[in-house]
Amino acid sequence: MARGEIRLIGLTKRFAEVTAVDHIDLDVAPGKFFSLLGPSGCGKTTTLRMIAGFEQPSEGRILLDGTDVAYTPAHKRNVNTVFQNYALFPHLDVFDNVAFGLRRAKRPKSEVRQRALQALELVQLGGLEKRKPSQLSGGQQQRVALARALVLNPSVLLLDEPLGALDAKLRKTLQIELKTLQREVGITFIYVTHDQEEALTMSDRLAVMNGGKVEQIGAPQGVYEDPETLFVADFLGVSNLMDATAQGARDGRCRVRADTFELTAGSGAIDVTGPAKIVIRPERIELESREAASGPNRLPGMVERLVYVGSAVQVIVRVATGEALQVLVPNTGKALPYEQGTPVQVHLPVEALRVLAVDEAGEPGPAEEAALAEASGRD
Amino acid sequence: MSSVAGTPVAPRPSAWSRFRGWLSNPWGRPRFLPLVTWGYVVWSIVPVLIAVQFSFNATRSRTAWQGFSTRWYWGDPVDSVWHDPTLRNALVQSLKLAVADVVIATPIGVLLAIGLARWHGRGSGSSNFLMLFPLVTPEIVMGVALLLVFTEVFTFVGTGTTAQILGHVTFSISFVVVIVRGRLFSIGRQYEEAAADLGASPTVALARVLLPLLMPAIVASAAVVFAISLDDFVISQWLSKGGETDTVPVKIYSATRAAPLPSTNAIATIMMLLTLASVTLGFLVWRAFTRGERRAGQSVVKDMGALEI
Repeated sequence: MARGEIRLIGLTKRFAEVTAVDHIDLDVAPGKFFSLLGPSGCGKTTTLRMIAGFEQPSEGRILLDGTDVAYTPAHKRNVNTVFQNYALFPHLDVFDNVAFGLRRAKRPKSEVRQRALQALELVQLGGLEKRKPSQLSGGQQQRVALARALVLNPSVLLLDEPLGALDAKLRKTLQIELKTLQREVGITFIYVTHDQEEALTMSDRLAVMNGGKVEQIGAPQGVYEDPETLFVADFLGVSNLMDATAQGARDGRCRVRADTFELTAGSGAIDVTGPAKIVIRPERIELESREAASGPNRLPGMVERLVYVGSAVQVIVRVATGEALQVLVPNTGKALPYEQGTPVQVHLPVEALRVLAVDEAGEPGPAEEAALAEASGRD
Repeated sequence: MSSVAGTPVAPRPSAWSRFRGWLSNPWGRPRFLPLVTWGYVVWSIVPVLIAVQFSFNATRSRTAWQGFSTRWYWGDPVDSVWHDPTLRNALVQSLKLAVADVVIATPIGVLLAIGLARWHGRGSGSSNFLMLFPLVTPEIVMGVALLLVFTEVFTFVGTGTTAQILGHVTFSISFVVVIVRGRLFSIGRQYEEAAADLGASPTVALARVLLPLLMPAIVASAAVVFAISLDDFVISQWLSKGGETDTVPVKIYSATRAAPLPSTNAIATIMMLLTLASVTLGFLVWRAFTRGERRAGQSVVKDMGALEI
């Protein structure tokens, strides 16, 4: 029996003025760590809240293991939530918080005790059951929230930016712990975050959302390496985007013209013609001196700025098309032979250069985004 | 000497400018604002203290101090609060009304507050606004209106204790709603959602989560209702049947116009202490309930402001 399979079909949520979630279709296989990733107001939290049952969909279906639960009230759904600010009951101690759900399910007293303590052990909080939530650190509160949700053995666990309130170091630790925990318990996790690094490191699969729609679904590597839309390319990691005119495919590659330069892009929407964007990751650009090499896919430029970021040096190069490109050069301990004003040449390897169609719809303006965030009350 | 010969000697600042500097030195301790504050505190408290002092006067005078005595509380066999039946009745009547008011107005107000805070739809805005009506309506208008209603429309009510309780409840509910709603807004919906998420039906969520979290606001509003009911004069007066249903403020008012004795001061002092005690109790309970929340540095205590109406 497949436990914890979620299918969203044409799920839509309209608030008074805005459509927060716009006909999204999503399949989450059981036992997977699935992330909903996107900027503020993209509809990811609203989607999660509909799965949890806190918002009623305007349209569409939510299939949980094949049963439509879209109109089942929250307290009758076999899904549990870890809230962004944990929402631990401040008047109850840790044990009572964790036991809350078991007691509502009218489990016998001995079972309540045993399972609650077991859940606290699982999140490494044994011995703290008599504390009040206010006497715990942020990380501990987060674990209690996790134990409180997991103790009920839900089919699906929903997590709404659970690490958002913690400091960077603790986040890293808990990311790894969460992922390990998910493998251990084998429950489907649906994880909402705006932190792309978090989504990339933890997820089995992820969906990038924008303006209430799903832009791309896939494994982290696939989405990072092969972004299908400009938004995804821009939102996930750092991308250099350049205006270009696509001139159609040849030999499975796309010839593009950027300003007066002829380039070849090896991936992306290679069939596209007309106005397009070419995309390349900073770590994939090769920096060369002007004399060193010549060949296709090279642009002359000038070093504009060097930024030391520790593990690498970020070099901003103003290329002949007029655009500034970010190049990431790993820090090998040797000083770079460049300084501000050094004439250089950038090599954009064919297989690393992607061409993407310019989407007509565009992204939501700031005003619309603000209205969205307000309408959904969070996100 | 020679090196400073050319520099002009700065004139010593005048006494006035030094005083101004002392009063309003932006780098020093604030002095002007505390001065205003203390000025007001003294101004408002001194008359009360004088009234309290004369409740302990040894003679019948309310203006000339002749030594300390407790005769106006219980010593005097005829005119003390304890022995004068009209004063004692007034005290009993006041307490009766206040307790009934708390018992009736608090639960209704809490339910109204929850309903108004959680109801988002047509009419919710105007209902929220109308809830404030009793707070801004001049009490005398409300008193006249209630009197007319109880003597002309719902004649079975008439005047007297029942009418007074109904009157007090009418204006007290608003206070409960305002205080409880403030707390509701500051705790937000997240706890109810968490409860529902963990399998609690709306009724269970209300009983197990929402009401415990509202408890400080409920106790605080009960204390405030008790205090304002004790203090109320206008409505108690309009709806009084006279005699036994006169409350302490009504009694003090009529006594002061006739032949006042220090026993009037004594009963006023008792009233003041009762009011003070109930508000202090409410405040302490609030503090005790929300201690953990403040320690955690959460914003839940923002609604403390709601106490200071």
